[in-house]
Amino acid sequence: MRDRGIGGSTAFRGRRSSVIATAVGIVVALFFIVLVVSSPEDRESAASPLLGNPAPVVKSTTLDDMQFELSRRRGSWVMFNFFNSTCVPCRQEHPELVAFHEAQAAAGTPTELYSVINDDSDNAVRAFFEANRGDWSKIRDDDGSIAVAFGVAKVPETWIIDPNGYVRMRFIGAVTKNLLDEKLTELQAAFEGM
Amino acid sequence: MNLPRPRSQSPRLKSWPMWMLMGIVTVCLLAIGAGREGGPLTQQERIDGITKRLACPTCDGESVFVSQASAAVNIKNEVARQVAAGQRDDEQIVALIEDRFGGRVLLVPRATGFDSLVWVLPVSVLVCSVAGLAATFRRWRREQGLVPSDDDRALVAQLLAEEPEDHDEVPG
Repeated sequence: MRDRGIGGSTAFRGRRSSVIATAVGIVVALFFIVLVVSSPEDRESAASPLLGNPAPVVKSTTLDDMQFELSRRRGSWVMFNFFNSTCVPCRQEHPELVAFHEAQAAAGTPTELYSVINDDSDNAVRAFFEANRGDWSKIRDDDGSIAVAFGVAKVPETWIIDPNGYVRMRFIGAVTKNLLDEKLTELQAAFEGM
Repeated sequence: MNLPRPRSQSPRLKSWPMWMLMGIVTVCLLAIGAGREGGPLTQQERIDGITKRLACPTCDGESVFVSQASAAVNIKNEVARQVAAGQRDDEQIVALIEDRFGGRVLLVPRATGFDSLVWVLPVSVLVCSVAGLAATFRRWRREQGLVPSDDDRALVAQLLAEEPEDHDEVPG
């Protein structure tokens, strides 16, 4: 075995420390790069095991006391917006939803937009929509079964379901009219090409 | 004249059968306790048991059982519905909730797939740390008897030669 001696041993340790410090530096740099690259503004569909699968069974009543069954909406594009009148992002995105709904109403085959009421009272939701407009149906979810079926933990969340009843997109957080228009156009084009 | 003293057993050796007996009894009692059926569970006990295994998806480290957050209450309601329906066992209900909310909803991560890293990594780090410490201690012990090289000897000789010889004198 080669005798490194005291001086040699110190040099060896110094070299090894540099290698370890470099390796740690590289790992930290990689973490930093991952943090920078994985921007939260990436608006592709959020993950869900429901994507590409039939939507869960949804049976409830609307705020107007009408029966609602998702399975009866086959043939239409359906959009669920999970909502609470006291949630700040929900209130911020509301004008965008109003603009989207108005544009859709003018279209030949409009997308059906529904607000799914999450942990909120009928009166609070009515008051909110009277003050802020929004002429679409609001679905009750008093026992939270719709939220659990879609895996919704926080609002707002928006889901798009195709005319065959398959879940196509999930947005976590506030959406904009432009984003919804863009993604819906892409989905409809892909659907027609199927 | 010194007579040969009778060989006496060390007290530690004398007591080992007792320790072994205690060990066997402890293992047997643990085995009986772990395998004992507690009788059929009520619906509420099942709901409590399941919700204690689930993490509130909007809280930090709280179980669905204790949390009053809206998402946790929704999950609790769903578990109650599933238990009342009686079509799924506890594991299937946990799997259903996990399927909807993802693995983050499990308070105790599964020991399969990517989640298994939670179990494997700490053990790996512990083993590597112990191995690293053992290697370091061995190297230190070896270095205590380190033989200086010719260069080291020359360096020391040079320093000794340069050292002033008046270091024994008391100043003043």
